[in-house]
Amino acid sequence: MAKNNNNNNNQIEKLAEAPLEFVKDGSTFISKCNKPNQKEFLQIVRAVGIGFLAVGVIGYTIKLIHIPIRYLIV
Amino acid sequence: MAGFRFIDAFKPFLAILPEVELPYENMAFDDKIVYTLISALIYIFGQFPLAGISKDSKVKDPLYFLRSSFAAEPFTLMEFGIFPPVAVALFFQLLAGMKIIKVNFKVRQDRELFQSAIKVVSILQYAVLANIFIFSGYYGENLSAHAIYLLNMQLVGAGFVATMLIEVIDKGYGFGSGAMAISTIAVATNLVADIFGVSQIAINTTEGINEAQGALINLIQGFTSKHKTFLGGIINAFQRDYLPNLTTVCLVLIIAAIVGYLQNYRSELPIRSTRARGMNNVYPIRLLYTGGLSILFSYSILFYLHITMFAVIQLVAGNDSQHTISKILGGYKTVNGLHYVPNFPLSLFAPPRSLIDGITRQPLSFITFTLFMVITGVWFASFWQEISGSSARDLGLQFKEQGITLIGHREQSVAKELSKVIPVAATSGAAVLALLVSAGELMGLKGAAAGIVVGLTSAFALLELITMEFQQSGGQSALAQALLGGGGF
Repeated sequence: MAKNNNNNNNQIEKLAEAPLEFVKDGSTFISKCNKPNQKEFLQIVRAVGIGFLAVGVIGYTIKLIHIPIRYLIV
Repeated sequence: MAGFRFIDAFKPFLAILPEVELPYENMAFDDKIVYTLISALIYIFGQFPLAGISKDSKVKDPLYFLRSSFAAEPFTLMEFGIFPPVAVALFFQLLAGMKIIKVNFKVRQDRELFQSAIKVVSILQYAVLANIFIFSGYYGENLSAHAIYLLNMQLVGAGFVATMLIEVIDKGYGFGSGAMAISTIAVATNLVADIFGVSQIAINTTEGINEAQGALINLIQGFTSKHKTFLGGIINAFQRDYLPNLTTVCLVLIIAAIVGYLQNYRSELPIRSTRARGMNNVYPIRLLYTGGLSILFSYSILFYLHITMFAVIQLVAGNDSQHTISKILGGYKTVNGLHYVPNFPLSLFAPPRSLIDGITRQPLSFITFTLFMVITGVWFASFWQEISGSSARDLGLQFKEQGITLIGHREQSVAKELSKVIPVAATSGAAVLALLVSAGELMGLKGAAAGIVVGLTSAFALLELITMEFQQSGGQSALAQALLGGGGF
């Protein structure tokens, strides 16, 4: 019984430590990461931004087609 | 294999379920681009208004904050968006990874059965969701049998088409997965509509006041419109609640920038070739190792939770605040004649409509919602990186095949070394994303934060696949030449 209790306690302790450990591991990993420099970042933003905008405009034009059709069928 | 397996139950469907044939040969780069784009655009075109509904029902939209992550548009054919195929595929793969659904992915027939199972269950789910909405009175009370039948046909039929569109891209006709392509396009479209949308939407039908959908267009129109003063127009453009305003647009753009920044966080492991001397390089392990999938997973759980609660509260209790069920689960409050906002305790798992609303009405959500997002996201990431075919073990094998090894480690211990990095990367990436999404949502973005994170991470994944393929095909692309004037990426 006592052993069991001990085990339980250990488990609870482990459970309590798990998030702390996770935060510690995570933050060391993040601080060790290579971060994008400004030039790289701007390049990415430009590439994805233009792509996103272009695709969005195409999509929105298609959505605009819906408006006259809506008037036609309703 | 003894005993009956879950996927065997779907054998009879193999014969009747239409299926996209695998492409005969490798698709050309241009064809793939066109397939991806057109499939996603067909999806956007499919966001067609539903016929045979009345919009002035008392029952409003309970899922408004989940919609943009799943490309779902209210009162259109894509009422539930790509939620069923995405959620079912995610959950089935998780269950297969846990060995609860037994599939042998090495056998072709098993793989086919597994895919058909996902398809059948998603279409069933479209039907269930459609009928929950129909019988709750969302499309109008006292619908005739004819109208119910019509609505079922529309919603389930559209769901079927969406499933097939995803399959077209998944099966190798396009880039990446279909859900990725569709969510990228849908999020991009919504962003453009929110900023530059020119369509005029009636705000006050009695006085005939219209306002533009796009926040920026609204600001410009505010200068000239008659029902607003100059200053009032500017204030209105930043804080109107019924349509996108400039504050939310700015927040979304900030979140987008943070995602773009995080996307390039990586831990670079030094590698060298075991075959040639002096071939040193680095192998990047991304912080966002599982991408936006962890967010999609958390949101799938939220979707299931909220649709179940909606079914119970609306169908059983009729959203009557006196009913016991409403008292226990919380019930809904109608806001702006558009949305159903859950009350406590259901509100614990829903982001508030605005920051002030959150502080005054549901302060506990700040803790519970964030915790929910982080815990589910981290759990998902730690599990997914193991089963998704890019685990430390798989990567170790890949290294071996390509004759690569980590500098400073023996060839045998590569997988072990990777297993120290990858799970940490995946889980901390998921935690960071979950925090970002919760922060955005708790400021009252009504789902736009999750949407932009999912859409952008998918866009990055697609972009990576496309550039890789472009380089492999040696720049043999008429499209790229036409678009970029012969220059590369």
